[in-house]
Amino acid sequence: MTQVVFDKPQEHMGLPLPTPKVAMWLFLVTEIMFFTALIGTYLILRNGTPHNSMHKWPTPHQVHLNELLGAINTFVLICSSFTVVLAHHAAVKGNMRNVTLYIAITLALGAVFLIIKGFEYNAKYQHDIIPGHVGESLPPDPEKMRASKDASLQNLLNIEREKHEHPAGMQYFHRVHEQLSSITESSVDSGLKEECAALLRDMDRAPSQEQDAKEQSYQRPLNPSEVGARVNEILEHAEKKNVELHLTPAIPFGNLWASCYFALTGFHALHVFGGIVIFAIILFMAAVGRLGPQNATMLEMTGLYWHFVDIVWIFLFPLLYLV
Amino acid sequence: MTEPGHATTHDASHDMRVKAYFAVFIALSVFTLVSFIANYGVRQGWLGVETSFVIILGVAIIKAFLVGLIFMHLNFDWGRVYFIIVPISILGVMMMIVLMPDIVMAWQPSQEPLEPPVSVTGTR
Repeated sequence: MTQVVFDKPQEHMGLPLPTPKVAMWLFLVTEIMFFTALIGTYLILRNGTPHNSMHKWPTPHQVHLNELLGAINTFVLICSSFTVVLAHHAAVKGNMRNVTLYIAITLALGAVFLIIKGFEYNAKYQHDIIPGHVGESLPPDPEKMRASKDASLQNLLNIEREKHEHPAGMQYFHRVHEQLSSITESSVDSGLKEECAALLRDMDRAPSQEQDAKEQSYQRPLNPSEVGARVNEILEHAEKKNVELHLTPAIPFGNLWASCYFALTGFHALHVFGGIVIFAIILFMAAVGRLGPQNATMLEMTGLYWHFVDIVWIFLFPLLYLV
Repeated sequence: MTEPGHATTHDASHDMRVKAYFAVFIALSVFTLVSFIANYGVRQGWLGVETSFVIILGVAIIKAFLVGLIFMHLNFDWGRVYFIIVPISILGVMMMIVLMPDIVMAWQPSQEPLEPPVSVTGTR
């Protein structure tokens, strides 16, 4: 039987790239979209706050963000990016001992990043800067309110209106009440007990029975705005005395800031954790003798992922800690 | 068998790469310090907010470019992956821009006093 032989030269279909690299880049562009959506939302919410209002987007100092810790974390990720690229380079040269060493250093640096992040999250918890907890939706400065000739401003937060329009304010009032009670009942004397007790007494004072002609309701002795201002004063004194008080501050846009902060850094930290898992698998492969020069491509793909995680942090650091 | 000359060229190329990686690592560390100092300058009052913003943002973009070009080998692979990256980058920027007018700019009060609406009826 005659066999047909094609002399036509072979045609290579697809991209002039290894398939794993194409797949990794496709995965990375989905990640680019994911983080662009998150960072874009943050930028839009932040820039959407009124610029010329007295309530502005929180500064890093207000929300207890430490720029130095952020910078250290940036440096840690830069070092880890460098060690990953050295690991890939060593794999190409067939030096698997160096690969293991560099990957172990990268894993350790990733863990350092997460530990520092854990310290930061703990500080947020200690200061109660958690989404939904921070005191806000607050009217302008209470003194300015009292001085205002605008009756609607003076009556802004009577209890009836609070219930319907400012439930967050009421929750803040009750949360601070609980925290003040536990501080005053505590056996530890922070030197601010008397100040806390005075605020608690004022909050517990019987409500004034000033009749509001329109709404037939009474006003609190202290509205959430005034409570927030007093709490911030106590926290300022605590900072000067270097005392830690578990008391929720009042920060305009504080809840929105906290939601953005935890969403952005949380998803980034999850990616760091994912990278650490991959590095642990590589180290396991090395331990059982299954890591060789044939794994250079896998190391390059892992490196691409890790560098992307680094690039995301390169933008998160200035956006959250500096600007 | 590999020719000795070829092996030497190959090794030299690898050494050059390691030098490039190290240079980028140093540059990234220095740039991080620059953005930190720019922020410190604003706090101390010897640097304007706008200047600091431009420096910090510029530094972040340069750092991202360096990582992408050298560490992610885009200086070699760009010609083969640009068609995946470019459309996504355009869409990402567009996504933010399209939301700006309604959410960001609408909230900012006009600097100019508002003119009362002009009646267009009953002029005859």
